[in-house]
Amino acid sequence: MLAIEGVTQVYRGGVMALNDVSIEIKPGLFGLLGPNGAGKSTLMRTIATLQAPSKGAVRFGDIDVIRAPDQLRRVLGYLPQDFGVYPRVSAYAMLDHMAVLKGIADSKQRRQTVETLLRQTNLWSVRNKSIAGFSGGMRQRYGIAQALIGKPQLLIVDEPTAGLDPEERNRFLNLLADVSESVVVILSTHIVDDVAQLCSDMAIISKGRIVRHGAPATLTAELKGKVWRSFIDKSELDQAKSRHNVILSRLVGGRTLIHVVSDTKPGDGFEPVAPDLEDVYFTALTSTQNS
Amino acid sequence: MFSKIARFEFFYQLKSPVFWVSGFVFFLLAFGSAASSRIHIGATGNTNINAPFAIVITLLVMSIFSLFLIAAFVANVIVRDDDTGYGPIIRSTSVTKFDYLFGRYTGAFLASALAFAFVPLGLFAGIHVPWIDQERLGPIVIEHYVLAYVGYALPAMFVASAILFAVAAIVRSMTLTYLGVIVLFILYGISSQWLSDLKSEEFAALFDPFGLSAVSQVTKYWTASDRNTMFPPLGGIVAENRLLWVGVAFVLLWVAHTSYRFADRGVRRSAGKPENDVTAAAFVPVRVSPRFDAASLRAQSWKWTRFEMAQVIRSPAFFILLILGIANTVSSVWVGTTLDDWTLLPVTRLMIETVGQAFSIAPVLIAAYYAGELVWRERERKSHELFGATPTPDWVFVAPKIFAIAFVLLLTLLVSVGVGVGVQAVRGYTNFELDKYLNWYVVPTFISFLQLAVLAIFLQAISPHKYVGWGLMGLYIVARNALSSLGFEHKLYLFGSTTGVPLSDMNGQGYFWIGRTWLEIYWSAIALILVLVSFAVWPRGTEVRYAPRFARLWRRLTGLAGIGIAASLAVAATTGAWIYYNTNVLNEYRTADQDEKELGDGERALIRYMNQPQPRIIGTTLSIALYPAEGRAVTSGDYLIENRTAAPLTEVHFDLPTDTAFKVLDIDGARLAKEYKDYRYRIYSFDTPMAIGERRHIRFTTVLAQQGFRNSGNQTSILENGTFLNNFAVSPVIGISRRSFLQDPTARRRQGLSAQLRMPKLEDMTAGGNSYLRPDSDWVSSDITVSTTPDQTPIAPGYVVSDETTGGRRTVHFRSDSPIQNFYSIQSARYAIKRDKWNGIDLSVYYHPQHAFNVDLMLSVMQKSIELYSKEFGPYQFRQARVLEFPAIATFAQSFANTIAYSEDIGFLQDGAALKADPNKIDMVTYVTAHEIAHQWWAHQVLGADVQGSTMLSESFASYSSLLVMEQLYGPEQVRKFLTQQRDKYLQGRLSETVEELPLMRVENQPYIHYYKGAMILYRLKTEIGESIVNGALKKLVDRYRFRTSPYPRTTDFLEILRADAGPSHAKLISDLFEKITLYELKANSVKYTKRADGRFDVAIEVEARKFHADGKGKEMEAAMQENVPVGAFLVDPTDPKFDRSQVLVYEMKPIRTGKQTVTLITEEAPKFVAIDPYSIWIDREVKDNVIPAGAPAS
Repeated sequence: MLAIEGVTQVYRGGVMALNDVSIEIKPGLFGLLGPNGAGKSTLMRTIATLQAPSKGAVRFGDIDVIRAPDQLRRVLGYLPQDFGVYPRVSAYAMLDHMAVLKGIADSKQRRQTVETLLRQTNLWSVRNKSIAGFSGGMRQRYGIAQALIGKPQLLIVDEPTAGLDPEERNRFLNLLADVSESVVVILSTHIVDDVAQLCSDMAIISKGRIVRHGAPATLTAELKGKVWRSFIDKSELDQAKSRHNVILSRLVGGRTLIHVVSDTKPGDGFEPVAPDLEDVYFTALTSTQNS
Repeated sequence: MFSKIARFEFFYQLKSPVFWVSGFVFFLLAFGSAASSRIHIGATGNTNINAPFAIVITLLVMSIFSLFLIAAFVANVIVRDDDTGYGPIIRSTSVTKFDYLFGRYTGAFLASALAFAFVPLGLFAGIHVPWIDQERLGPIVIEHYVLAYVGYALPAMFVASAILFAVAAIVRSMTLTYLGVIVLFILYGISSQWLSDLKSEEFAALFDPFGLSAVSQVTKYWTASDRNTMFPPLGGIVAENRLLWVGVAFVLLWVAHTSYRFADRGVRRSAGKPENDVTAAAFVPVRVSPRFDAASLRAQSWKWTRFEMAQVIRSPAFFILLILGIANTVSSVWVGTTLDDWTLLPVTRLMIETVGQAFSIAPVLIAAYYAGELVWRERERKSHELFGATPTPDWVFVAPKIFAIAFVLLLTLLVSVGVGVGVQAVRGYTNFELDKYLNWYVVPTFISFLQLAVLAIFLQAISPHKYVGWGLMGLYIVARNALSSLGFEHKLYLFGSTTGVPLSDMNGQGYFWIGRTWLEIYWSAIALILVLVSFAVWPRGTEVRYAPRFARLWRRLTGLAGIGIAASLAVAATTGAWIYYNTNVLNEYRTADQDEKELGDGERALIRYMNQPQPRIIGTTLSIALYPAEGRAVTSGDYLIENRTAAPLTEVHFDLPTDTAFKVLDIDGARLAKEYKDYRYRIYSFDTPMAIGERRHIRFTTVLAQQGFRNSGNQTSILENGTFLNNFAVSPVIGISRRSFLQDPTARRRQGLSAQLRMPKLEDMTAGGNSYLRPDSDWVSSDITVSTTPDQTPIAPGYVVSDETTGGRRTVHFRSDSPIQNFYSIQSARYAIKRDKWNGIDLSVYYHPQHAFNVDLMLSVMQKSIELYSKEFGPYQFRQARVLEFPAIATFAQSFANTIAYSEDIGFLQDGAALKADPNKIDMVTYVTAHEIAHQWWAHQVLGADVQGSTMLSESFASYSSLLVMEQLYGPEQVRKFLTQQRDKYLQGRLSETVEELPLMRVENQPYIHYYKGAMILYRLKTEIGESIVNGALKKLVDRYRFRTSPYPRTTDFLEILRADAGPSHAKLISDLFEKITLYELKANSVKYTKRADGRFDVAIEVEARKFHADGKGKEMEAAMQENVPVGAFLVDPTDPKFDRSQVLVYEMKPIRTGKQTVTLITEEAPKFVAIDPYSIWIDREVKDNVIPAGAPAS
């Protein structure tokens, strides 16, 4: 179990990237949902020992992550949001290199590991090609392959699906689901569907704070009977926003669809709607923005 | 559009910190160079600090340094859009490629030009500081600064910026552009090496992209007066160079324009999509568990090291650097072994020395470059998060980067060895001595390279950015060079510095390696600390902020790293203490500043004793015990002194040599009355005054010994094999003379001393009682005993009286029967000896057994010289003559009584085969040997009075005598080649004059006058008035002044004989040559020739002539010329090395006056070339225009 206690990260100029974040994450796939700039990557990097927090503690099982980063790294698989590779190095060579760095020194074992992972991530046929020439999906699969080297007990994947086409995204999420059984997998994303499809537990982060935490189904259930929708004219949007707690608005067939959270029916033209995770997400964001 | 882009770019760059920081640094550097009392770029000798020449040179030198700035600006123009990703937005606008590229280029160029304007500003501000040396300040002319900036700096910056811009446009990478900077640096380095050779200087002048070599070549012969008053002209070779490079710049800009792809630089997708195997392999959990034991650590570090090295080796930068390294080495080895006038065998020691010099700056650049690349590579490639999260200890990231840089440096080192061996093989020298390459070069150099790599890595690790790290490294380079000249000289705080190890085949590394090894250990320990600190603050992961990195410093340092630091600190402290004990306790640590100050203080305290009458040394008995392996000499001596003054003497003063301990110093009937310990000066007073003509004895015992090792200036006299000690080092001097005081006028002013202590004037008749060599002695009788280890041969002047080996010591006793100078050498080494005998005189050469190459030649030249000089000047005073090799730690030859000390670097290594193959080369063995033998007459028989002109009587006459030998052996062509070199050296030597250039007869021990000009003047005298008259006059001088003491002869004594023998028709010539500084401009303008009825040819040559007299500062006054100058017609260009006498059609003296005139000759055949003063015997600064081709006959 991963326990994050009061983690605060202050950058130069007093920017608070993380503000007293505390959360416990159990084995299984955990989704960390938040908009751009909410502090997801900072939290991921802090857990992944890449930077120390200004305050707070991170514990994984018995490991004090801040004081003994090396202990955590031994059980860690990490796929950063963005990573680059060296020119003139093939996928095989690079994965082999990473395997050594991850402590698989025996060459026979390493070959077995590397080959298994390349097949598992569907990169076998391009193993001798330079990673620099990979497509976005291939590169992400390479990224998860390297993260899976060894037996990671904690797998952190930071925005892995950004920029992938739907087919690649599905394939990637399936891969994640496969490995998430007995280990802690943290998937950070700004795409609600990623979490909705896979995660048994999730949190929403906004402006450096965890604003919601729970199972997606539980969070959705909490909103049951409180979400209303209406089609309005585009010109009426500002008026609607001032009058109601509008959590989302989007154009559908030329008309503007709005969702409003309210314990009672907000008025004429509104009809109840079964809440989904998106409503949870936007409700949470709206509440922090208004706060 | 163009101008708008340019303006935007200009102001954009102005806002960058690079602009202001570099402007500030430029200002400081320029200000410092003008305001400092020590570092002046271009203002050497008597050149003013604000001389136009100095301004131009400073600006050009700075323009070379500005490459880093220019690279930052112009490369930024190119890579900014790629880096920020803003490129597509700009390139999708309607801007044209031309406007985009050149608008930006123009803006960036203008910004760098503006930043560079701080240099002339700083120079100008610098001369206004209150402490400026007013003596060295000329009139302040603002136009000079403006003109130097516009005329020289701007074109240089344009060329450099265009080249770097083109490079940046092609490679589109900031770091590769910086590599271009290194390439330009090395190009400049190569061109400045070529510049030192007369034959390639024009090529070098064209080759230098900055134009500095061209300016240097044009102003090569400029005197201080020229430099102070004239602005280096922007014509001639300078214009050619500028046009050439501006042309190259435009071509490169065009190349940049055509090769720059305006389209977005997309990602190459060579891998393609994999086959869509939807049957994704079922998940098979990876069963392999990682292990974290020693084996994985080994595997990790080894893997990472290999990975780093592969990254380095596969990068294009590596090959460029390697190829440049080879080019640089080949070029310097070539120059190093074929010094412009002669040629040395490529022995391994010489290869190591020249290759080592070529590698002084390149490794620093390579280390700095790769440290920046490697430390920041993960971050730049954005793979730092991947690697940072792996369970790999931090040191696995740090150590391999150091190894990789060290490996690259080692490879360049080995390549340079390969080049050295290759050059040896090509030159047919096969004694490669790989053990010397290894022990003398590879091992010590690699240790210092490793330390350099560590420093570079460390500076990067503590920097927030690559460029900051590079900047710090640049600061280190500047500091390393500047600190020691500012008086911070101790090796204990100059990172990586060690005490020098002079190399010699005779002496190997001597005992010099000891101090170096201690410093190597000391600095290696400190380097290890830097490694561990780098490791502790390593910017792992995404963290570059200092606070969190320092916060984890302690955690990282607990355990092995901390123990390592503690252990290294202990080693550094222990070795540091031991080094300190050696350099500051056993020996005195002195800086150049302290030495200078002490000389100044000493002069103030002692100058009142300068003309105090003192007794004279007339006999010397010395017994020296040499302990070569320990570097120690124990001397006991006895001077016989006589009161040759006109009054009784009450005191004897002693000036004692530095570093020598006086155990005993006693005088009959005298007591120590006063001692100036700081200045090693003692005054003894007689109980009863020493009567006129009375003789007494002085007895002394001294020890000169190397104690441990010094910070610098280890004693080099007593060596394990190749001791060369002169008697001044181990015995006292009576009285003080101006020789003991500070000479350099600037240093004198700095110490607040009188302007100059000059030699007494030629006309000062009171000074005739002293010889210029040693005022406390006249000719002395000598009795010298030298003992040494039994395997060595000890040598001192005189004939061997006894030679015994007892009790493990070999003792040889020498005695002279002719009087000798009280200035002699004691030598001892494991010599091979070759002997010959001529006319009852024993000739011998004592040499290092490996250096037998030129021994036979030396013997034959010794014989020929003694034969010729005996005939021409009078008898040789000894029954023996010996040449003795000494280690290459010093490079000179020196003549003592019947003993010539000869450095292994001079003559012993001359390459005879190369000499024969290249007609441009001069046989320096013959020249030097004949010169030193000639000193047995000129100095050891006739010695000048201590007045102006005295060295003409020894050095100029010795040079002239050796020309006679050369002429006899090789004919006049070889002599002319030699004179061409002498002319060049004289004309260049004038420029470094710090006091006053004097006419030959008043020379004040100025080598460029008494050697180079002396040889030219006497050769011209011989050409014009005939050898027999000149030699006759010299013979009369020997007859009259042989072993003469008070009064010692003067140059006027010689000129008196010469004038009488030459007759009044040559009075003006003698006056021009000896009494004045005379320079000519001789030029052949055009020629016409027609066939005569008798089949011969009438040749009409239009020549032009001018004559000047210069004053002591180089200011010239034109004089009316009316004299005979040789004019000739030839079948081959007389300056061609293959030219010989058979190609002379006619060569005769013709009356030549100032201005243009036509000279007619009659030849037997149609001339191919005509010339005025074809053999450049007249001192003419531009000799290339003396010869012109004759062309076709006129109809």
